[in-house]
Amino acid sequence: MNRFNLFMSLVATAFGLFWLAWILWTLFDAGLAAVRPEVFTQMTPPPGNSGGLLNAIVGSLIMAGGATLLGTPIGILAGVYLAEFGRRGWLAPTTRFINDILLSAPSIVIGLFVYEAYVFHVKHFSAIAGILALALIVIPVVIRTTENMLKLVPDSLREAAAALGAPQWKIIVMVTLRAARAGVLTGILLAVARISGETAPLLFTALNNQFWSVNLDAPMANLPVVIFQFAMSPYEDWQRLAWAGALLITLSVLALNIFARVIFRNRTASV
Amino acid sequence: MGNRLRRQDAAFRFVTQGFAFLVLLVLAGIILTLIAGSWQSITRFGAGFLISSEWNPVTEEFGALVPIVGTLVTSAIALLIGVPVSFGIALFLTELSPVWLRRPIGTAIELLAAIPSIIYGMWGLFVFAPLFADHVQPLLIDVLGPIPLIGVLFEGPPMGIGVLTAGIILAVMVIPFISAVMRDVFEIVPAVIKESAYGVGATTWEVVWNVVLPYTKVGVIGGIMLGLGRALGETMAVTFVIGNAHRLSSSLLAPGNSIASALANEFTEAVGELYFSALIELGLILFVITFIVLSLSKLLLLRLARREGKQT
Amino acid sequence: MTSRPELSASAPGEALAREKIKIEVRNLDFYYGKFHALKNVSLVIPERRITAFIGPSGCGKSTLLRTFNRMYALYPSQEAKGEIVVDGEDILASRQDLNRLRAKIGMVFQKPTPFPMSIYDNIAFGVRLYERLPTREMDERVEWALRKAALWDEVKDKLSQSGMSLSGGQQQRLCIARGIAVKPEVLLLDEPCSALDPISTARIEELISELKSDYTIVMVTHNMQQAARVSDYTAYMYLGEIIEFDVTDQIFITPKKKQTEDYITGRFG
Repeated sequence: MNRFNLFMSLVATAFGLFWLAWILWTLFDAGLAAVRPEVFTQMTPPPGNSGGLLNAIVGSLIMAGGATLLGTPIGILAGVYLAEFGRRGWLAPTTRFINDILLSAPSIVIGLFVYEAYVFHVKHFSAIAGILALALIVIPVVIRTTENMLKLVPDSLREAAAALGAPQWKIIVMVTLRAARAGVLTGILLAVARISGETAPLLFTALNNQFWSVNLDAPMANLPVVIFQFAMSPYEDWQRLAWAGALLITLSVLALNIFARVIFRNRTASV
Repeated sequence: MGNRLRRQDAAFRFVTQGFAFLVLLVLAGIILTLIAGSWQSITRFGAGFLISSEWNPVTEEFGALVPIVGTLVTSAIALLIGVPVSFGIALFLTELSPVWLRRPIGTAIELLAAIPSIIYGMWGLFVFAPLFADHVQPLLIDVLGPIPLIGVLFEGPPMGIGVLTAGIILAVMVIPFISAVMRDVFEIVPAVIKESAYGVGATTWEVVWNVVLPYTKVGVIGGIMLGLGRALGETMAVTFVIGNAHRLSSSLLAPGNSIASALANEFTEAVGELYFSALIELGLILFVITFIVLSLSKLLLLRLARREGKQT
Repeated sequence: MTSRPELSASAPGEALAREKIKIEVRNLDFYYGKFHALKNVSLVIPERRITAFIGPSGCGKSTLLRTFNRMYALYPSQEAKGEIVVDGEDILASRQDLNRLRAKIGMVFQKPTPFPMSIYDNIAFGVRLYERLPTREMDERVEWALRKAALWDEVKDKLSQSGMSLSGGQQQRLCIARGIAVKPEVLLLDEPCSALDPISTARIEELISELKSDYTIVMVTHNMQQAARVSDYTAYMYLGEIIEFDVTDQIFITPKKKQTEDYITGRFG
C-alpha cells in the first residue's frame, strides 16, 4: 500500500514533467524550422503567401510595454497601501480579497469589460484598448507581489528610519520599497510574462492588424491573436508562422519567468 | 514644518488608498458594465436563458445551457485528472524528493503554468488531438462504450477534438496551480506532528493520508477551488480543441462549447444587438461562477492561515 | 525640570540631585493591546550621562525605551498613558511634531539596520531630512559622524558601497554614526551589542563612553557587566515596574532591594 502509493506519487510527478517536455519538444520541433530571418523583417502575409511577424512582434512589445508602464505604478502604490497602511480599517482586507480574485479571474471577462466600457463607446478597436485590458491583468499581479515583498521587510528597518524623524512616505519610498525592490521587480517581470501570452483579452480590444501600424488609436497586430488566427487557418504558410510565433512567445515567457526567479533568489539572499 | 510633513504623509496615504480603492472600482465596473451590456438579453429571456439549449442567431433565440454544461463538464474532467496528479506531485515534493531535487522539479511544474494558454491550444489541436483520436479514443470506445450507464459518455466517432480533449488539456493547465497550493499547505504541517506519527511506526503514506491531509484539508480544498476557478475561465486552450458546436451531447467525445470559447469565437463576429447582449450575458454568468468559486477558495485558504496564525 | 523629582519606586542617591534632568517620566502605563506592560513607572534621565535599564527579558526595559521617541506610535494597538517630559514638554500630551521629536532623540537598535543604500547615503539620509547642506558641508558631516563612530578609517575608501556589505560590527557603528549625524540630544540604545562579537562590543562600549560628553544616553542591556562597565545610572526593572534606580555602583555593590541583589548575583528565578 505504502510502496504503491509512493510509486504513484512518482508517476504523477513524471506525468506533470512529461507534458512540459512534450509541449516544449513540439514547439522546438515545429517552431525552429519556421523561425527564419523573414519572421523578424517582414509583415504578416495575406493567405497563401510567405511573410513574417514583424508587425505582430512590435505590436506585442508596444502593448505589453504600455500595459506594464500603466499598470506597474498603480499596482505598486496599491500594494504599498495594503502593506504599510492596511493594518486597520475595512478597505485593505476587502481590497486584498478582491484583488486575489481578480488575479485568477478569467482574462476574457477583462476583455469583455474593456470592450463594453471603452471600445463600444469609441466605436473602434485600438491598441489603447488592448493596453487597458492588459494593464488590468498586470495590476493585481503587481499589487500582490508588492504587498508580499513589503511585508518581508523587517519592521526594524521602518523603525530605524522613523527613529531619524523621517516622515512615513519617505520611509516607504526611500527605505522599505528600496529594500523590497528585487521582489517587486520579480512581480513586474512575472506580470510581463503573464500578459505576453494573453490572447483572450486582446481579441475584443486591440483585435489585429495585417499591416504595419504603431498608431495607438487603431487596431494593432500582436503575436497571440496572430497565432490564433493563423493556427486556426487552413493555410500552411500561416500555420508555419503560427508555430514560429508560438516558439518566440513561449521562449520569452519562460525566460522571463526563470530570470525573475533568479533575480528574486539572488537579491533576497543578500538582504 | 511639522504640518508640512504631516500633510505630505496624509497626501501619500490618500494617493495609495485611492489606488487600492481602484481595485474595488474595477470589480464594480466589471459587474455593472456586464449587467448593462446583457440587460437586453436578461429582460428578453429571463431565467430561461440558463436552461435553454437554443442558440440561433438567425431567429435570435439564445440560451446558455450548452456552454454552461460544456464549461462545467470540461472543468470537472480537469479536476478529476488534475487533483490526484497534483496530490501526487505535492506528496513527492514534500515527502519523497531528495532536497536537491525539490527546487528544480517544483520550478519545472510551476513553469507549466507559465506557458501561455494559446500554446496549449495549438499544441492540443495539432499534436495531442490527432494522437488521441488515433490511439486512445478508439480504445475508450471499445472498452468503455459497451458498459451500461457510462457507455453513453464514450459514443460516437473518434474525432480527437471534443469535450474530453478539452478537459484533459485543462487538467494539465490546472496541475501547477493545485499542486503549488497543496505543496505549500503540506509544508506548514508542524514537524512535531509528523514525527510523532512516524514515531509510532506509521508509513509515509499513512502519515500523509491520516495526519497531513486531515490537518490541511481546508487548504487542499482551497487549492482545488483555485484550480477550478482557473479551469472555468480558461479560454484559448479550450477554444482550440473543444470543437465549438452548440449542441448538447451525452458523449464526452463529441464536440461542444464552453462559455469562454463561445465568446472568443463569436463575439467579434456577432451581428445584432440581442446576439451581442446574449454573449455578454454569457460573460456575466462566467464571471459570477468564477467569482463564487474563487471566493470560496480564498475563504478556505484564509481560514487555514488564520488557524495557523493562532497556533504560532 | 531642575526641581528634585519625586520617585515612587525608590529614592536614588544624592548624586542625582546634582544632575540636570533631561527626561522625566511620571506615572507611565503602557499597553500592548490588553497587556499591561509598564505599570506606573516614574524615573528621571540625567543629561549627558549614561543610564542603563537592566532586567530579565520581558520586564519592559525595551518598551520603556521605546516610549521616549514614541516609536510605539507606529503600531495602532500600542498605547502609553502618563507623562514623559522632555525639556519641559510632555511628549505624550503635547501636539509636538513626532518627526521633530524623533530627530531630536536618536535610536540604535538591537540588530544593525543599515538602509539599502550606500554608506554615504545611509548617513546623509537623516541629515537631508531636516537640513539642506551644500555638498562640501554634507561630506564634512558624513566624515564627522563616521569618525565619531570610529568607522571612518575602515570605510573612507568605499563610501559608495552598499551599507549592507559591511560586517555586523561595522554595520552597528554605521547605525550609530547615522544616529549622531543628525545631531540629536538624546541617544537611545536598545541592546546595541547583543548581536555582536566581543571585539566589536568592546569598540562600541568605548564609543558610547566617549559620546557621553555630548549626548544623553539611555541604553537597554541584558548584559549586567556591560551596564556596570559603561553606565552612570542603572534602573533594574521587573515585570513592568522599576524595582530600583540608582547610581550604577550603588546598584551593583550595595543594592537596597533583595530582588535587585538576587538578579545581579545570578540567583534570579
